[in-house]
Amino acid sequence: MSALLTQLLPGGGPVRQDAAPGKADPWDSGMWPLHRADWLGDPADWRNDAAVVVLGPEAAEDAMHVPFTLDATGVGAVERIVVTIDYSPIPQVLTFWPGRARPLLGFGVKYESGSPLRASVQRAGGGWRMGARYVSAMGGGCTAPAAAHGQPDWQEGFGEMRARLWPDTGRLRVWLRHPQDTGLAPGIAAHHLTEMVLEDDAGQIARLELHAPVEENPALTFLLPEDVSGPVTIRARDTMGYRFVGEVAA
Amino acid sequence: MTPDSNIRRRALLKVGIAGTASLALPLAAVAARSYGFEAAEVADGVWLIAGAQDSLNRDNGGAIANTVLLRTGQGAIVIDTGSTALMGAEIRAFADQRLGGVAATLNTHHHPDHWFGNAAFADAPILSLGPTAQAAALNGQGYSDALYSILGPWMSGTTPVPPQSPVQPGAQSLAGRALTLMPLAGHTEADLAILDADTGTLIAGDLLFLDRAPTLPDADMATWRASLDSLGALQPSGTIPGHGPFHRSSAALAQTRAYLEATDARLMRAAELGLTPAEAMAAGPVPDFAGLGAMPEEYHRSVVQRWADYEQRALTTISDA
Ligand SMILES: [Zn+2]
Repeated sequence: MSALLTQLLPGGGPVRQDAAPGKADPWDSGMWPLHRADWLGDPADWRNDAAVVVLGPEAAEDAMHVPFTLDATGVGAVERIVVTIDYSPIPQVLTFWPGRARPLLGFGVKYESGSPLRASVQRAGGGWRMGARYVSAMGGGCTAPAAAHGQPDWQEGFGEMRARLWPDTGRLRVWLRHPQDTGLAPGIAAHHLTEMVLEDDAGQIARLELHAPVEENPALTFLLPEDVSGPVTIRARDTMGYRFVGEVAA
Repeated sequence: MTPDSNIRRRALLKVGIAGTASLALPLAAVAARSYGFEAAEVADGVWLIAGAQDSLNRDNGGAIANTVLLRTGQGAIVIDTGSTALMGAEIRAFADQRLGGVAATLNTHHHPDHWFGNAAFADAPILSLGPTAQAAALNGQGYSDALYSILGPWMSGTTPVPPQSPVQPGAQSLAGRALTLMPLAGHTEADLAILDADTGTLIAGDLLFLDRAPTLPDADMATWRASLDSLGALQPSGTIPGHGPFHRSSAALAQTRAYLEATDARLMRAAELGLTPAEAMAAGPVPDFAGLGAMPEEYHRSVVQRWADYEQRALTTISDA
């Protein structure tokens, strides 16, 4: 059963992955064979699988904040999930080790041009299963453009962490004020989160390796295991050595 | 004044390629395409060029917002000018041919589907509320980039010409026509609504939508609802929303209010229940409004545009490093 919550809104039904399952790349992308070799090690056991659901928009309304949710809870035991964007100057987005958490993740990314975002899921046995979604980067028009971004006031509120835990559904959402600079803009050094870890009394729950394409002021959603009852500690760090800590209880 | 100026009538007129040929536009582009507007006189001296009930796309060439022309003894008062230079030129051609030229232009707010045709009207004052002019100037280039990528060749020759002159709100005579200019807000930081005294027609800009999903990129829900209260206190003889047909009922007011309340509640509920924005998007619009024009894409856009408002309320600060 899907761990997604779309059915909690009136009219919201179950969601399925729409790309055809199998060994072929549904987008026949020139970049994918390279990325598969670089980040997955060119595995023999790999295929596109409808069990990996990737939710995202059809078009990037705000190219600085393109929201995704991936749900691999239908895959079985999961070792890690590697998220990449084919046609991004920095294709590597994040790697998620669910650990004791369930393999579901919500996050936002920056988008440069129309491209699939891929979630490659390594099963505990070693084989890889992929889900993906193509996002057009044309935008929707009346978008307020990027005037709000790139302003040198990122220090204001820097490191503020917001969160909430929903015991009924096991959801945990974390928001962290951080510029997530890619280093690609002239005169602005790369400054982005590199890691986020969830912990409780029993030790590490899950770990996330983050890269520059993750959105500014990132918001992340996790699905906690049922054995978590006490407070959860969220730790993060970035390329400049800053560390961020927060604790959230039900 | 024409002999029939005292009776309300409806008329249709095709404004096509012939009208634009005299204007200084890149003729190769003009010759290739035309909007072929139909203008309808919905009240005495009140002409409506109705936009498509859709999102901006290459099928409609960006002609999605309503343009209204008010007849005066000195030419037309043009209210909103469309998304492209070509669209502005065709509106201008109609004003020149049927209404004796242009006396003044009003831009109701800063969204580009309402003022990117301004270049065709630069020989007379282009008026707006102050914040509208500022926001148009600030965002013009970004809007231009977005519109070129969406509309492609329809945008040929289009450069942003932001409104220059601030309007004085209130009851006044503009080019001899008695109007009440109402400075409101909520759809954007400044939304101008216009009540035409002679006919009692309300030209509401994007504070009102009918049968087309409202756009929320700059929306402030509470302020918008307060503006709807102000509009609800009027007794117009007819209403022209920013998007949607002329009508003589309170339909746009009721529908816009219901849409905002239901969408506001849906996004708050989604954030309060711990949904991700991608899940809120995938669940689709409020079912009662799923049949509106530009759905579901307008709802999808709204989730991205407004999500942070709701999430900030749903989450608690746990660290302020
Ligand atoms: Zn509009």
